[in-house]
Amino acid sequence: MIGSTDVVLDRAAAYPEIAGLRAALRRRDWPACRALIDRLEPSARSAALLECGDEQDAEPFLRGVLNADPADPAATALLGHHLIKLGWRIRTGYAAEHVSRGQAQQFRDRLRRAELLLIDGAARHPGDPAIWTARLLTARGLELGLAETRRRLDRALAAQPNHLPAQLQFLQSACPKWGGTWDLVHGFARDAAAAAPPGSPHGLLVVHAHIEHIFGDDGTDVFRYLSNDAIRAEIYEAAHRSVWHPEFRRDHGWLQALNAFALIFTMLDDRRSAATVFTALGDLADEYPWNQVGADVPVQVLQARAWAYEGES
Amino acid sequence: MRRLEVDGLPAVLAPVSGPTHAGLVFRVGTADEPLARRGITRLVERLVTNGRGGLVGPEHTYFHVQGSAAAITEYLAGVCEALRDPPTQRLAAARERAGRAERDPLPMWRHGARGFGAASYPEWALPGLTEDDLREWITRYFTRENAALWVAGDEVPEGLALDLPSGERRPAPAAATTLPVTPAFFPGETPGVVAWDTVVRRGPHAAVFANVLERRMLDELGGTGRARTEYVIRCDGTARIAAVAEVPPDQQEAALGGLVDVLAAVRAGRIDPDEVAAVVKLTCTGLRESESRGARLPGQAFSLLAGREVQSLEEALAEVRAVTVADVAVVASEAYDSGLLMTPPGGTAGWAGYAAAPAMSETVLAGRTHRGRGNRTIRLISGDEGVSVTGPDVVASVGWESCVAMLAWPDGARHLIGEDAVVARIEPSLFRGADRVVREADARVPQRLRIEMPPRDRDRIPRPEPAPRTGAGRLYATLTVSGLFVLFFVAGAVWALIRLLTGLGDTREDALALAGSLAFGAFCARYCWIAARDLGSLRKGPHHG
Repeated sequence: MIGSTDVVLDRAAAYPEIAGLRAALRRRDWPACRALIDRLEPSARSAALLECGDEQDAEPFLRGVLNADPADPAATALLGHHLIKLGWRIRTGYAAEHVSRGQAQQFRDRLRRAELLLIDGAARHPGDPAIWTARLLTARGLELGLAETRRRLDRALAAQPNHLPAQLQFLQSACPKWGGTWDLVHGFARDAAAAAPPGSPHGLLVVHAHIEHIFGDDGTDVFRYLSNDAIRAEIYEAAHRSVWHPEFRRDHGWLQALNAFALIFTMLDDRRSAATVFTALGDLADEYPWNQVGADVPVQVLQARAWAYEGES
Repeated sequence: MRRLEVDGLPAVLAPVSGPTHAGLVFRVGTADEPLARRGITRLVERLVTNGRGGLVGPEHTYFHVQGSAAAITEYLAGVCEALRDPPTQRLAAARERAGRAERDPLPMWRHGARGFGAASYPEWALPGLTEDDLREWITRYFTRENAALWVAGDEVPEGLALDLPSGERRPAPAAATTLPVTPAFFPGETPGVVAWDTVVRRGPHAAVFANVLERRMLDELGGTGRARTEYVIRCDGTARIAAVAEVPPDQQEAALGGLVDVLAAVRAGRIDPDEVAAVVKLTCTGLRESESRGARLPGQAFSLLAGREVQSLEEALAEVRAVTVADVAVVASEAYDSGLLMTPPGGTAGWAGYAAAPAMSETVLAGRTHRGRGNRTIRLISGDEGVSVTGPDVVASVGWESCVAMLAWPDGARHLIGEDAVVARIEPSLFRGADRVVREADARVPQRLRIEMPPRDRDRIPRPEPAPRTGAGRLYATLTVSGLFVLFFVAGAVWALIRLLTGLGDTREDALALAGSLAFGAFCARYCWIAARDLGSLRKGPHHG
């Protein structure tokens, strides 16, 4: 049997800049943080700022940075994400129906603080896609409506066409649980994947759309859904345009793309295809969307990986 | 441009390239009207002009005519004559002609139900205005001392006589505010419309800012809707800048978000120097063109009335040309701080740092309480200070002293409108023994504040409704109480079952107790389940980030 028995869920293992940024943040060394952030390509930059928003107790440090330079766009986006994550932690620490009125209030309060900061950041740096990406999260949490969410996505895409971190956030907001529709989700995913250059990871938007549809809608019959030829064809086409394309590179988004296809191929009962993406992934995996299937992500991944490789041995 | 005096009136005269025109302006407008006289200035204007050439603004009313010297002389002489001796036989026709005016909701939220805020209200008083009311209004405002003249032409038309009654100069109305904190917001009532206004020091900086703002808004909307701004100067040295964006209703949240961002950007000083230069250039072109048509003369006549110096074209151009990006940024910051935002219906701008404009009273006045009929959550309270109407999370209090108008319907309903625009609705059909409050209101509110309203259709008269049952607190209470009962009955059933199975005690009695416990338990469980389900539907599903 091929393959490791390890499952590494740390995104820093796939994107070394995240480890570097976390280390610099822990040292409270903002010049080092900026040096690292400024070197990144815009998608990787937005994603790193989003990812590192969960650094513990970073708020006083980042406030200090912003006091010294209120216009620092990276510090604005990072503190924005930090406050957003603090807010969601209050809310998702409990099952949704057990969020008390006080917790809901605290959640909104954190998100409002993030949004105020980000409004100012967007006013100063309207062309910074990381700020617009963060504002897609506040728009969702504060329930500012789909039209406003779409406007924020458009600003991010105006800053960088095919800005994947913003597109991933919009896809969530377009789901029915946040006031969207499945047609909107699939249409958006298809168009965004088609608009991206061949070999880019954007095919994962198509997969995320189907996974959300399967797990986010109680009425979906998984078997019937996945035996629909049009849906299967769409998934394979997306794979050919992204993870299976010769131009596919380990640029930002590669981990999420391979990971999403690993799950959907497993669900499609396609061992061979699953094995190709598991091989490319090695030990690595990402929480989402495996966490939609079950709570114990490493077990899910290990089982799926073992099953995929069984066909090859 | 020349300054002169005609029949005791201050006047400005300037030659123009086009046809000759002239105007007679009075220092009176809608901001002078108490709510119980709302519409009276327009009624006077209609009565006097027979519908030709008159215009009523917030602080000024003018009568404007274009044509030969003879036509101008005849028209203005006619206006003066009609003001001296109002043709009251035309009153009914004038009232009809006054029709409906477009209403802007922002002034009410900023200023309350008085002064500049009155412009947001319907002209309820119009049908009830009498000849005496009109004469009184004319005597007060339409006088020689409260008027000025402009003539766009080479000479004052020969034979022009302005025979106006004598009176006194009326000072401009003061702008009161009901907003405790700004920037503030309130939810509007028209889908697809967002609006904003502010009050700043008047001047070329502010005028340029208003135009820059309009360009920013159009840019932000990018073709999805329409936007415009308006710059209106006031006699007290301030100016109101108002902005409106109209979009398809499904785009209204984006229009709000876009306006919030545009305002934040100008406040942060992100103002494009090229844009300022372009606006300055356009403003200068506009000023020159206005000058050649004589369109600056009304403004100059307003200045004469306010006792201010009249500005020449060169002075005005120099002022506008001197406006810098830094000047506009200062205005933008001031404008932002005193802003009032109208969100789409049901919307909020709390997320963007705007405080909710007060929509109700802070305190309940002391007095005798009348409970709601069939609805325990509403109350009508009447006392020495005034009237309060309360409901779940709502308080509307209007003091006898601060009441600016009372709407009175033949069916007995009385709506008291406070100067802060709060309305206390005394609806006899909703409260027990409310007739007594109606009698008190009729006795306490002065006749001059009373507006008689036409009879209401039956379906417009509110009917008692049971209290709504949707609050989370109420559901929790139901859940807890019914849950406890379920536990109690389940325990009873288990006890009876044990006794039955073990053969202790009376079998028949225990079987009865068991059946009863199960029946009542099921009954309570149903309530419990309904409450839990309703609570669940108040919440949203979990998130993935």
